[in-house]
Amino acid sequence: MSIQVKFFGLLTEIVGADEISVNGIADTDELKTKLLRDFPKLKDNRFVIAVSKQIIRNNQALHAGDVVALLPPFAGG
Amino acid sequence: MSEKKKHKVFVNGAVNPQFIADSIAKHSSKLNIGAHNIFLGQVRADEINGKTVQSIDYSAYDEMAEEKFHEIRETAFEKFNLTCLHIYHSKGIVRAGEISLFVFVSSKHRDIVFDACHWIVEEIKANVPIFGKEIFEDQNYVWKQNL
Repeated sequence: MSIQVKFFGLLTEIVGADEISVNGIADTDELKTKLLRDFPKLKDNRFVIAVSKQIIRNNQALHAGDVVALLPPFAGG
Repeated sequence: MSEKKKHKVFVNGAVNPQFIADSIAKHSSKLNIGAHNIFLGQVRADEINGKTVQSIDYSAYDEMAEEKFHEIRETAFEKFNLTCLHIYHSKGIVRAGEISLFVFVSSKHRDIVFDACHWIVEEIKANVPIFGKEIFEDQNYVWKQNL
């Protein structure tokens, strides 16, 4: 089961990409664990997770084709 | 049922002051308007660790930002008795002294536009996934964070 994970701002520099494909991840907690393991420098950075363009506060199940985004602090305006 | 018309918010580079003047002029045909409130966000030459910000390079999670702008717009019309609302935000490089955000609110009365404009600007800053690189004269940069 494949999902897209988008990165923005400083996070793209840490990951080295603005988008990656991830397989076999059931929920956002599992995704976060995997990303922190693959990209340890993410630990030092604040971000929120959006699933289908909505920021999530709790663990959320993921489905094939979901688009997840890791969003660093906003700077609009 | 809310209108499905798409309002384009992002502009490439700085918002042109002439565009702001033209927007004001365009509203003179709307004779039920009694008050406008305009907010302009300008890039400030902040000093950070002895270096001065020369420009900000704005980027965004486009699809989500557009949805958020749409939600802010819809909610603003529900909360406040507005005649008109226009929001423009820069993407790409905006130099210090240039305008990066233009919010233009119109209504019959001033109390409505004072409240609405404030609410809209705070919503944009808190909820729209826009990111900014503050670029210094030596071309180094830091990522901007809203307070």
